[in-house]
Amino acid sequence: MAKKSWMYSVLEAVQYEMRQDKNMLWIFELTPPVASTPGKPVINLEKEFGRKRVVNTGIDEMWMAACTLGAGLAGSRAVTYIPYQGNCMCFQIIQNHAGKLRSMTGGMASMPIVYLLEMTGQTPGFAGQHSDYEIDTYYAHIAGVKTVVPSTPADAKGMMVSAIRDPNPVVYLYPAGLRELMEEVPDEQYQTPLDKAAVRTTGSDITIVGSGGGMPELLKATETLRQQGMKVEAIDLRCLKPMDTETLVNSVRKTKRLLTVDQSYYTLCPGAEVIARVAENVDGARFKRIAFPDAPPPAAPEMFLWMRPNADHIVAAAKKLVG
Amino acid sequence: MSERERSEVSHEAPASGQAQSWGRRTFLKGVIGAGAAVTLVGKVARAEGELGFWGKDLSSDKLTEMFTNIVRIRWHERTMVDKMLTDPKYRGYNHFYAGQEAVAVGVCSALRNKGAFDEVDLVYSTHRPTGHAIAKGIDMKKMAAENDFRATGINKGYGGEMHLSDKSCGFIGADGMIGPGHVIATGSAFAIRARGSKQVVVVFGGDGTYATPHFHSALNNAALLQLPFIYVLENNLYHQYAHYSYSCPMKDIADAARTYRIPGVVVDGQDVIQVYNAARTAVERARAGDGPTLIEAKTYRYYNHWGAPGAKPGELGAFGYDPLAISTFRPEREVRAWMQRDPVDICRNILISWGVLDRAKADAIEAAAKREAVEAFAWADKQPFCKPEDGLKNVFVEGTVAARQLA
Repeated sequence: MAKKSWMYSVLEAVQYEMRQDKNMLWIFELTPPVASTPGKPVINLEKEFGRKRVVNTGIDEMWMAACTLGAGLAGSRAVTYIPYQGNCMCFQIIQNHAGKLRSMTGGMASMPIVYLLEMTGQTPGFAGQHSDYEIDTYYAHIAGVKTVVPSTPADAKGMMVSAIRDPNPVVYLYPAGLRELMEEVPDEQYQTPLDKAAVRTTGSDITIVGSGGGMPELLKATETLRQQGMKVEAIDLRCLKPMDTETLVNSVRKTKRLLTVDQSYYTLCPGAEVIARVAENVDGARFKRIAFPDAPPPAAPEMFLWMRPNADHIVAAAKKLVG
Repeated sequence: MSERERSEVSHEAPASGQAQSWGRRTFLKGVIGAGAAVTLVGKVARAEGELGFWGKDLSSDKLTEMFTNIVRIRWHERTMVDKMLTDPKYRGYNHFYAGQEAVAVGVCSALRNKGAFDEVDLVYSTHRPTGHAIAKGIDMKKMAAENDFRATGINKGYGGEMHLSDKSCGFIGADGMIGPGHVIATGSAFAIRARGSKQVVVVFGGDGTYATPHFHSALNNAALLQLPFIYVLENNLYHQYAHYSYSCPMKDIADAARTYRIPGVVVDGQDVIQVYNAARTAVERARAGDGPTLIEAKTYRYYNHWGAPGAKPGELGAFGYDPLAISTFRPEREVRAWMQRDPVDICRNILISWGVLDRAKADAIEAAAKREAVEAFAWADKQPFCKPEDGLKNVFVEGTVAARQLA
């Protein structure tokens, strides 16, 4: 056990799996699979496994996604790490190929592959094309692909192990704004399920649901509300598809109030799906969702930080719903 | 000249250990005085009938303007580096163009940069756009304000460095992505050919773009449709932190042009006259309806991919370890070797040797460029910040969108 960052935790999981499976591949561009953490050995996949298995490609996300899929169809496990600038360049391959091949082959195709897609939108000033926090919505919509978004280093490791061992294509979203988060993460290999939400705090007044890069602010708001006497059940969605309807429904049956928080655009954000599923199953509940407005993220921090849902926005919305 | 010789002349920076210990100006004076590398490739190219040698026929005013724009870019970049290093209130994140000035200026000097929107030539730029923007004619003050996200910036604080644009001079703009912009640029060229407006479209791209599927799409369609399109590939050897050999199997990316049966030209990107000659030839071809050209300018950036790690205030260039590069970084000797063939010095010395400028005049131009840059950033510092609620504007032409973060 040691304190580990998100990426150290992920690469530790991948390193173990690549040592077990001599055919497993890692495909990257620009960002070498290297991580370090105090008191632990440096992980360098390229150095350890060589360039036949760990390839640094040119800037071509379509190839990265297609190569990963092709490797899977040929029977090898493969992971590709696509940086945020290119995380929709590969959309066609994932949406129209990886997502449909299992069905189109009548169940014959097996695709033990992981699309590790970096997402950002956390850094004020990056703006426009370098802000793409809305991809959770895009990818979660695809049938035939599991889409997950861990928010802690410990989940990042356990869910990466599960994603690699899963015979289906998994889109594994990495909210890069969490890159500096550190926590105790077990050294040994363990699995975290790809279909379970995590209840972070239990409470009976209101259920607040968020995911990924929005979780730190959501938990901050939960603490503020607790100090003011509100009992919040904070849920980290973790899995967008399949979505853990049971945990959500059970919580709102108890609290009768549901607030969802997204950094994705408002229209069709994951929270919209959460509310729809709960509304179908729980009578007499009240709902509210907050999200990034349906506007491209502007560069100026004054505009961007006001538009991105933060702890103050969450506290205000919760009070309105409970009050 | 064999391909190998041509590559060596145009590509390799001199690596003489002695040269490194000289001042960069002293060294270049020696090289140019001996009539070496600087004009060699141009002469050879002319002998092959590939390029016109237009540079020598330009007016003194035009040549002086080219030198002026080179030093304007240089001092803009240096001032921006110092700003980033010394002013904790400066919020811009920047990709510096220093070292590549001759490419932007050589190309844009062959373009129409003033006039109505259906008259000016169009430029599509990259994530390293400030040099292209200045060479095309953007207002430096407003650009500095945009880079610090001010409400009076050229794009009102919505864009920032990687999305700068200025329609008034045909600068369609920066593009933070690698690939799509090049294909989009062919769309502009397609419209221009259809309406017969005699404009040309230039897209700047880096060596990393060769790996993208968009490179093929842009050149293939431009060649098939004979579009007025010029692809200027600035090969500064690195895409982000990876050497271009990771994305390209050949030494000269311009070789790719053969596949499309279009001209592919390699030029010394440190020599503004060579770049101009190639650009002018390509522009005349495009305007005449004879189709696209691929120009590969061999060049180098003096700073790391992003920001100023390894740089010191008041000093040109960044050296040594870049934490963002994680496991690979450029050898310091390589950076210093390239700095021996500095585009500012090369242009300056050519113009002095041609009798266009004397040293005093060149010094005065450079001093004025430095003042302009310092004043631009000082002006930007005084500009108002954006209003939060303005973030809901400019989504569509009409109206504003709802503030969904508020309950």
